[in-house]
Amino acid sequence: MTTTLAGGRAARRQTMRRIRPRRSPATALLLAVGAGAVGVLWLWWHNTPSIADNNGKILNAGRITGLLAGYLMALVVLQMARVPALERRVGSDRVARWHAMSGRYTLSLIVAHVFLTMWGYALQAGKSLGDIVQQTIDSINQLPDMGKAAIGAGLFVLIGLTSIAPVRRRLPYDTWYHVHLLTYAAVFLTFWHQITTGNDFAVEPMAKTFWYALYGIVTALVVWYRILTPIRLNLRHRMRVEAVIEETPGIVSVLIGGRKLHRMGAEAGQFFRWRFLAPGMRFSSHPYSLSAAPRPDVLRITVKAIGDHSARLRELTPGTRVWAEGPYGAMTAQRRSRGKVLLVAGGVGITPMRALFETLPGASGDITLLYRANTTQDLALWDELAAIADDRGARLMYAVNSPDGERPDISAERLKQKLPDIDKHDVFMCGPAGFAQTVYEALRGAGVPARRIHHESFEM
Amino acid sequence: MRKSHPIRRVVLATAATVSGVVLMLSLKPASDPNAEAAGGTAPQQSAAAQESPQGGAAGAASGTVDGDVVQTQYGKVQVRLTVSNGKITKSDAVQAPKGGTSDQKTALAVPKLNQEAVAQQSAQIDTVSGATYTSTGYKKSLQSAIDKMKASAGSSQGSGSSQGSGTAQGSGSSQGSGGASQAKTVTGKLVQTQYGPVQVRITVSNGKITKADAVQAPKGGTSDQKTALAVPKLNQEAVAAGSANIDSVSGASYTSTGYKQSLQSALDQAGG
Repeated sequence: MTTTLAGGRAARRQTMRRIRPRRSPATALLLAVGAGAVGVLWLWWHNTPSIADNNGKILNAGRITGLLAGYLMALVVLQMARVPALERRVGSDRVARWHAMSGRYTLSLIVAHVFLTMWGYALQAGKSLGDIVQQTIDSINQLPDMGKAAIGAGLFVLIGLTSIAPVRRRLPYDTWYHVHLLTYAAVFLTFWHQITTGNDFAVEPMAKTFWYALYGIVTALVVWYRILTPIRLNLRHRMRVEAVIEETPGIVSVLIGGRKLHRMGAEAGQFFRWRFLAPGMRFSSHPYSLSAAPRPDVLRITVKAIGDHSARLRELTPGTRVWAEGPYGAMTAQRRSRGKVLLVAGGVGITPMRALFETLPGASGDITLLYRANTTQDLALWDELAAIADDRGARLMYAVNSPDGERPDISAERLKQKLPDIDKHDVFMCGPAGFAQTVYEALRGAGVPARRIHHESFEM
Repeated sequence: MRKSHPIRRVVLATAATVSGVVLMLSLKPASDPNAEAAGGTAPQQSAAAQESPQGGAAGAASGTVDGDVVQTQYGKVQVRLTVSNGKITKSDAVQAPKGGTSDQKTALAVPKLNQEAVAQQSAQIDTVSGATYTSTGYKKSLQSAIDKMKASAGSSQGSGSSQGSGTAQGSGSSQGSGGASQAKTVTGKLVQTQYGPVQVRITVSNGKITKADAVQAPKGGTSDQKTALAVPKLNQEAVAAGSANIDSVSGASYTSTGYKQSLQSALDQAGG
């Protein structure tokens, strides 16, 4: 029934590699972003000699929020440009959370900017706050590029609304995604009014140059990494579905063939965004982890049928063309700093753990995998895991509910009892959010420092 | 994997942003320390008097014409044209938006608009980016001034001519006593301003300034821009006025003050 993908040569070679931990560049990046924000605020400070009255204060608050929004907007787009340094070193999950956070913040700044600026203009024209709507219409009619900016701002609000958690949950993923793509149009539309009506850009030609450079670089990165790189990857590797295998009830593996797949640079623990060119599936791509170390001729993903998309994977026919973007994800062997590793998998979270279990460098007894599932039937890929454990002298443990449905005890004490030197381990973890939280707390209780718990979560 | 507290984060981000913005706003002075000397009053002094020595000789259809006062979102704009032989020789904003960012926009836009008006001889001039309201107001006022100028062109010398030549003669002749017949170049003393040194060189011929130049002027940062805007104006004014009694260029008052001091010293040297 199961096709075992264990025991590849490439995988065995990887197990011999030296441990070379690489630090995440997150802190440095956040500092750079902060420095940029200070620079933007300085620009305002430098160009504003004085503020005469309250009206001026309102207008200048509008300018500050506008400048910051213009700056952050570029970064929010940059975060989704699939730049390898972000995707593979910081981690796609963390960058996605940054994106969501900074996106919300930027949208708030945009709304504040529009409101404050129009209020300020209304006061300046001798009108009151009540005339703000009329003022907005006047400004759109009279100022250059304001019509475009107004449309762009409207799009931003729409994108923001569709991303509010309760709305997003009710929307089909594809709808949300395609609305989200309008961000590019909105950024383009709002860019021009910054240059033509922005006081700081009129006064300071250098600022204008910087702004063009910022947006130019972001555009180049988006075009390069979101469009050209995937095209090149897929032209080179020409992937197709080779087989679909049911591992356990509800969990399927898809084998994907192609040319020179080992040249894609994928590592165990990483994922691709997959788009299957089959009816009803071609318009959206989904992230699935590799469930085996990549081999020159075949890649494998293992997916639990939970959403519309994953349920349809079961019906894929061999030969279906596959469009992949990646590899992404930072939960690789590079994260590890110690000789000993504990892998913790919850349910279908086994997929990246399975690949790491096979390839993480380590001597006999260094690697332990703890696999949590509801029943022993749900332990997908178990045979393979057992074979790998045998082959490299790794420990394999599972925790399932007792026959009366009681959850297994995953506590600090229990973990310590099973693995006395647990505090000397690096821990890689993948599973549902609630499970991950429980395990995280147990691990911390057992003395594992937070920096050695490596976890990837796509929960916002 | 640390517990996230979305509400706490929202509150913190909002509080930090609001207090940061309020702090920055409240740290800004209510009036521009740089612009105090100019105080925006500069354009209100009649430009005509200083300008007339050039125009005076020509005669017909000369003088100044004021355009309508146009109310813009940021304040009033009024254009005054100096006309010689039916041509615009000078355009000036007697009134322009003041206060807050307007000072700066006015300082940037008005000289440009003045130049354009003289170059185009019409109200068909480009809007200055970043100062759209001011530009629009300026163009309206300019148009009305041009209309008046055309209306009065044939019959009278216009309302402005009465202001025309009187006062300017005085300032011109004060220099005249020097009596040197050939042209000479005098360089004024170096005046140190907040933004850098200013030094003026003038060419004097028959006791009159025929050319004024800044050998040194503030450089770097916004100073480049301010210098580029202010110095040509000051040079022009110096020639027109024939004295150091010239208007400060608003938005570049330090440079203007330094310029005037250096100019005065040059005139002293030329006179003595």
